[in-house]
Amino acid sequence: MEKIQLNWKIAGKAGDGVMLAAKFFAKLCQHHGLQVFNYYEYPSLIKGGHQTGQVYASSESASCQRRHLDLLVLFHPKFLAFHLDALDEKSVVLINAKSFDSSQYPQLKARVITIPFSQIAKQEVGDALMANMMMIAASAKFFDFKSDQLLELVKKEFAGNKRIIEQNQQAINLAYQELGKSIQEAQLDCSDQTLEAKAAADKNLLLTGNEAVGLGAIAAGLQFYSAYPMTPATGLLHYLAAQQENYPLVVKHTEDEIGAINQALGAAYAGVRAMTGTSGGGYALMVEATSLAGVAEIPLVILEAMRPGPATGLPTWSGQADLNFIVHAGHGDFPKVVFTPGSVLEHYQLSKLAFYIAEKYQLPVFILSDKYILESQQTMPQPDLAIDLERFSLLANQQSTGEKYLRYQDTDSGISPRAIPGLDKVVYLANSYEHDQEGFATEESLVTKRAMDKRLRKMETMLAELPKPQVFGAPVTAADKVLISFGSTINVLQELLNLLVAAKINQPAIIHLPCVAPFLSKDFEQLFDWQKINEGKQAVYTVEGTATAQLAQLLRANSQLKNIKSILRYDGRPFYAEDLLEWFQTQKINEVYQIK
Amino acid sequence: MSIQITDLQSPISPTWCPGCGNFSILTALKKALIELNLEAKDVVIVFGIGCSGNMADFIKTNGFHALHGRAIANAIGIKLANHRLKVIVTGGDGDLYGEGFNHLLAAARGNHDISVFVHNNERYSLTTGQTSPASKKGTVGKSTPQGVIEEAINPLALAISANASFVARGFAGQSQELVELMKQAIMHEGFALVDILQPCPSFNKTQDNQWYIEHTQKLKADYDLSDREQALKQVLKKEPIELGVFYQDQGRLAYHQELQQLTDKSLIEQFPDHLDLQLAIEQFI
Repeated sequence: MEKIQLNWKIAGKAGDGVMLAAKFFAKLCQHHGLQVFNYYEYPSLIKGGHQTGQVYASSESASCQRRHLDLLVLFHPKFLAFHLDALDEKSVVLINAKSFDSSQYPQLKARVITIPFSQIAKQEVGDALMANMMMIAASAKFFDFKSDQLLELVKKEFAGNKRIIEQNQQAINLAYQELGKSIQEAQLDCSDQTLEAKAAADKNLLLTGNEAVGLGAIAAGLQFYSAYPMTPATGLLHYLAAQQENYPLVVKHTEDEIGAINQALGAAYAGVRAMTGTSGGGYALMVEATSLAGVAEIPLVILEAMRPGPATGLPTWSGQADLNFIVHAGHGDFPKVVFTPGSVLEHYQLSKLAFYIAEKYQLPVFILSDKYILESQQTMPQPDLAIDLERFSLLANQQSTGEKYLRYQDTDSGISPRAIPGLDKVVYLANSYEHDQEGFATEESLVTKRAMDKRLRKMETMLAELPKPQVFGAPVTAADKVLISFGSTINVLQELLNLLVAAKINQPAIIHLPCVAPFLSKDFEQLFDWQKINEGKQAVYTVEGTATAQLAQLLRANSQLKNIKSILRYDGRPFYAEDLLEWFQTQKINEVYQIK
Repeated sequence: MSIQITDLQSPISPTWCPGCGNFSILTALKKALIELNLEAKDVVIVFGIGCSGNMADFIKTNGFHALHGRAIANAIGIKLANHRLKVIVTGGDGDLYGEGFNHLLAAARGNHDISVFVHNNERYSLTTGQTSPASKKGTVGKSTPQGVIEEAINPLALAISANASFVARGFAGQSQELVELMKQAIMHEGFALVDILQPCPSFNKTQDNQWYIEHTQKLKADYDLSDREQALKQVLKKEPIELGVFYQDQGRLAYHQELQQLTDKSLIEQFPDHLDLQLAIEQFI
């Protein structure tokens, strides 16, 4: 099959239904067997402003948003001004209006089609809101999706609501007719093939990073989630709250973030798998309790969903500048793990792994991610649905032997058998104070040292189980350029590799770090030819969403790698593969980035 | 098997000052647990940080020695994970009425089935004598040498207005009455607050045992503890300080009783050994 690629974007005010429309269109692409990435931008308000949903779908891979648009759909003509750099002579703009004065936009090369969707919807369907479905349908027609596929999706989404389905059907038919007329008038040849829906058998799932974290958590046996709403972690709270009716799960919206993490710790102490989630500001309130999880050795998974700070920052935008904060979060020395998944699939995988590591090693495990991937939808293969779960590092029923139970027993691995309160003849005292093996508070010198050594020993024991650095593109030892990233940035760098192939430019090596703490120094250093590095034959860059090159600092602190430059973006927006391609081609970079 | 006095015996002796009210509160708590015939495995005590929280080392039960101010949040999590457990919070007035008061109000509103025993000595004592939210206006402490400007908190009035379903006040010096209050609070199905007046011989010299005896009296025998408005009026009275149960609502369901996931079994009893993800992925297909 020939490669299919489409780029579509819809823009309107908050309240127009932009996100729903984009979700619907993304699903239509998913149902045609395409790989999909659906990226949203929206301001922190409920009505008004300017928000967008942007779908990149491809028969091969779609790991991120793309700049160039095939079709731009506008609820209001005035929003065209925001999108001029994404349009060229091959682009088409579809505007919800009777007419459009192009004289304001002398630089506009794209062709414009105007259809007064809202007016038609009101007159013909009896509901102006049906304009939304008409715009989706006109988009489907533009890319030659068959109308019956769209209708099938409508029937699924609105199952049981006959009137809504009929209205939508009417809207779809009208849109196909209207766009058909307009295309003839404009003599547009928009596509040369009809997209057939693929068999349902090999379907992918389409979900956000937040939902993938939630799905992974459920698959890992999550039973208690407590949180306080905060963008961009709220999606996880909503997803899990809805799953309470399907699984043995309690979701608690607490009075504040301090209550959230402490309730989760209480539930985990009592033996269930527990999690909390928030963004940077909310996590700042949780830091003290993270340290408690460390010293009391209570398993806990924490989603930290990054947005740009400092303080309230840009609430609905993305960034990665909590890296230092999370890696170093918590007073005192204690072991913890920080996962930084890239794709939606990796969010699912590492969420599952986080619960295993947390329970086995009895410590806090972070999933550190960002608004960009947590609120974007991406396709991933459907995982195995039948899951068997085990428990780890729990006290077996040994107490019948009459031995005294030591909750914090000093062992070679550093892991002590954890009791669940409710066992006969077993007393479990968890303690925020430094404590002896029984759990009683201590201030003794050697008891303190041994307790600390025992806990930190777990860090050595667990190293082999943590996800290692991943290399894409050229081998690290062979490339002229090495690009290093953590978290969501890999999604863009993978698309960059595709663009470089198409542009016949040498591939760089790309290193993606799915785990930043503990830092897997050996695994990282093994990737390099140190002679080559020391002779300065390779240029090493981090690509990161921070202003102070936090990842580069982390690498210098944890490896022999010292000579690192950084490509930085910290305006809340994601990296664009196109901008990085331009940098490869011209050694110049768009002014929204900084190289240092 | 129900708890015996030897079960509760910790190898560590209390480090409180001679004459501290915590001794008799500890004794009352042990008595209450024994007299209720509870099984040791079914009791968890969450301890705050302060002189009273140090009790974690002086009684042997399942315990969670929490962070300052956060014990109630931990207790809610424990109860929701395993509502078969009797969950008791014990901490000071600085801890539970100051640092963590938000959690106390939230717990009362939710009617979480936990018992909160506040050792109220109107001082921060482990930090060597500052005023607390319960200190009377004008009290001189190391952090308020000119006298505290704020009015004292009225924890019982706040708890009643936040819909707490069991609100009582006891006195460390009246041991048997305190045991009874603790027993009632532990057996109450819902949120229970017992404010316990506690002399601090080191940092609150004016309110010694004798002072409390002179300034307190029992609630009248015919007091109607089901009348919430009356209870609010009663706890707003300044002198004499009354002791007993001011309010109890036995009709209100506890938080966990309103969760349909917990109707048949506790959460911990429902650990998912086998899972089918079909319902969880339905919306992603």
